[in-house]
Amino acid sequence: MMKTQIKTQPEAHNIALIVGINGQDGSYLALSLLDKGYQVFGTTRDVFSSSQSNLQSLKIGHKVKLLSMAVEDFRSVLSVLRQVMPDEIYNLSGQTSVGMSFERPVEAIESIAIGTLNILEAIRFLNLPARFYSAGSSECFGDTHGQKANELTAFFPRSPYAVAKVTAAGLVNNYQESYGVFACTGILFNHESPLRSERFVTQKIIQTAAKIKKNPKITLQLGNINICRDWGWAPDYVEAMWLMLQQKVPENFVIATGRTVSLEYFIESAFAYFNLDWKSHVRLEPALMRPSDIEYGAADPSKAKNLLGWEAKHDVDQVISMMCSAANENTLLTSK
Amino acid sequence: MNKYKKIALITGITGQDGSYLAELLLEKGYIVHGVKRRSSLFNTQRVDHLYQDSHIDHRNFVLHYGDLTDSSNLIRIIQEIQPDEIYNLGAQSHVAVSFESPEYTADVDAMGTLRILEAIRILGLEKKTRFYQASTSELYGLVQETPQKETTPFYPRSPYAVAKMYAYWITVNYRESYGIYACNGILFNHESPRRGETFVTRKVTRGLANIALGLEKCMYMGNIDSLRDWGHAKDYVRMQWMMLQQDYPEDFVIATGVQYSVRDFIRKSAAQLGIELVFEGSGVNEVARVNRIHGDKVPALKTGDVILKIDPAYFRPAEVETLLGDPTKAKQKLGWVPEITLDEMIAEMVAYDLELARQHALLKKHGYKVAVGKEK
Repeated sequence: MMKTQIKTQPEAHNIALIVGINGQDGSYLALSLLDKGYQVFGTTRDVFSSSQSNLQSLKIGHKVKLLSMAVEDFRSVLSVLRQVMPDEIYNLSGQTSVGMSFERPVEAIESIAIGTLNILEAIRFLNLPARFYSAGSSECFGDTHGQKANELTAFFPRSPYAVAKVTAAGLVNNYQESYGVFACTGILFNHESPLRSERFVTQKIIQTAAKIKKNPKITLQLGNINICRDWGWAPDYVEAMWLMLQQKVPENFVIATGRTVSLEYFIESAFAYFNLDWKSHVRLEPALMRPSDIEYGAADPSKAKNLLGWEAKHDVDQVISMMCSAANENTLLTSK
Repeated sequence: MNKYKKIALITGITGQDGSYLAELLLEKGYIVHGVKRRSSLFNTQRVDHLYQDSHIDHRNFVLHYGDLTDSSNLIRIIQEIQPDEIYNLGAQSHVAVSFESPEYTADVDAMGTLRILEAIRILGLEKKTRFYQASTSELYGLVQETPQKETTPFYPRSPYAVAKMYAYWITVNYRESYGIYACNGILFNHESPRRGETFVTRKVTRGLANIALGLEKCMYMGNIDSLRDWGHAKDYVRMQWMMLQQDYPEDFVIATGVQYSVRDFIRKSAAQLGIELVFEGSGVNEVARVNRIHGDKVPALKTGDVILKIDPAYFRPAEVETLLGDPTKAKQKLGWVPEITLDEMIAEMVAYDLELARQHALLKKHGYKVAVGKEK
C-alpha cells in the first residue's frame, strides 16, 4: 500500500484545485486564493454548458483555468488531478440542497460520498502530496437541542444530504489515519451571500422581499419558520477553509459565528430592510415542510478561534443587510 | 386460525447469518425468499439443505438471482414477492477487503441499503414491509466510550465501517421521514462453523484443525491483541427477527457484554484440540509454540513446534483495538440474552473444522491431490 507523504512544513502552495468552483463558496474561494497569489484551477461538471455566473459576478472568470470533471467518475477525477498536480484541493462540489436530497437521495450519496472517496483514492493512487479540504456541513449534527455543537459533538444526520456528508467526513478521517493523507473536514454552519441561489431559503426571502417592495401583491410562501440557525457570511468562511490547509497537522473544525437566530428573525429583519411588515406578505405552506427537519442548530467555533485565529467578521444582521443591499441594486438594475 | 404465512426476503441469504435466519424463519412458518448473486461457482452451500425443487407446489424457500448494486432488480423482486419483512444481510462484509475495494464496498453496503429503502417507497410498501438493517460494532471503531451502547457516538475506521455508517443513518432517516418500520441491529462479532473462512475466528479454528492433521504447518495472523465481544450467530439472528416483531421500530446493540482477545480465542481453540500453547517474543516477531499436548487429536504435532507467526500483511491500515458491547437494552426491552457461551461456540467450530480436516486428510491419504484453500 502506498503511503502519501505529509508535508510538515508549510511551503509555497501555489497551485490550488477547487472542485465545484462555480458555486457560492467555490467562487469566493477562487477570489481569495487569486489574491494570495495562487494559480487557481477549478472544475465544473461541463465547462461548455456551465454558466460560470458566480465567477463572472466576481469578475474572475478569465483568471481561473476551468476543467470539466464529474466527481462520481473516478477516471475524470484521476485525469484532472494528474493534469493539475495541485498542492491544495478543495472539494466544494456535490448536491447542495437538503430539500433536494429527499427527492434525489442516490444523487446525494454519489455526488457527496462517492465523489469524496474518488478524490481521496486518486490522491492515494497518484501518491500526490496534496492537502485536501472537504466541505462538511452543520447538517451532520442534526438538532443540537439548545446545545452548541463543537468538533466533539456526535453526528445525528436527518436528511439523505446529511447522511452523505457524515459518510464523506468518515472517509476523510479514515484516509488521514490510514494513509497519512493531509485531509480535513470543515464543518461549516450556514453561510450566505448574494451569490446564494434562490433554492436556499435566505436568498428566497430576500429576493421575494425586494420584489414585494415593487409589487405588494406578491406573497412569500415558506415552510417551517420556527427553525433556528447560525448564519454567517460566505467570504469569511472560505478564509477558514484556506487556514485549515495551512496547519501543521490536519484537523477538523467547526466554522460558524456562534450566534443562532430563528428564521422568523431573519424574515423580519429582511423585510424591515425594505420597510415592509413581513406578517402581511408571508404565507405558511405545509407542503414546503421537509419530511424530517432540524429545529435548532447552534455552534461553538472556539477551536477555530484558538487554533486558526479565525473569527467570523460578520454576523447575521450584517449578512442580511448586505444581501438585501445586493438584491436592491439588482432590482434597480433590472428595472432600468 | 390465521392461515396467512408471513413472507420474508433475506439479502445475503447464502452467508452465515442469512442461512441461520432462513432456518429460524422456516421453523416459524414463514415463506422465505433469498437473494443470491450470480457466480460461475456454486455459492449456496450454507443453504443447500433448505433447497426445494422448483417443480414442487407451495415452495416455502425460494432463491432469486439479484444484486444489491442493481436497483431495478431489487424493485422487481420486492414487487413480485410483496414481503412482510426484509432482512438486509447482504454486504461486502470483510473489513480488510474494504481497504482494497472501497468503492465497491460503498456501492453494496451503503447504496445497496438505500436502494432497498427506495424500493419500499417506490412500491408504496412503507406501511406493509418491515426492514431490518445489519449494522455492525465496527461503527464504533476508535471507541468513544466502553462498553458501547446504542447512544455511543460512532468513529468508523475502515471503508467498510464508513459504508455501514451510511446504511445505519439512512435507515434511521427513512424511519423518521417516511414512517417505515425500519431498524438497525448493531451486532458485535458473531461466529459459528458457518463463518467465512477469511474471518479471524474461522481462520483460527480451521487453521488449527488443518495443522493438527498435518495439512498445514503454520498459520499467519495479524493483530492478535485486538479485543472483541464474540457471540454465536444463531443467538444473534433470533434477535434480528425479534426486532421486527415490536410495536415500534428501534435500534439495538446485540452483544454478549464479555470481551476476549484474539490471543484468548487462539488459546481456547487450541485447548479444544488438546494443545497447550506458549506465546514467545513480541510484536511482529511473536510466535506461538506447542508447549504440551493432551490426548490424541493432533497426530501431526509435537511439543516445541511453532504453529503461529505474525504477518504484518494482515494488519489493517487503521486498527480497531477494542470492542465491547452493552446489550442491556436488548435484555430489558426484548428479553433477549445470548444462550451459547464462547467456549461452547469454540468447541462447535473446532469440532466442525476438525471433521472437515479429517475428510481432507482421508482423501489425501488415498492419493487424491486436494489443495488446502488459502486466503489470497
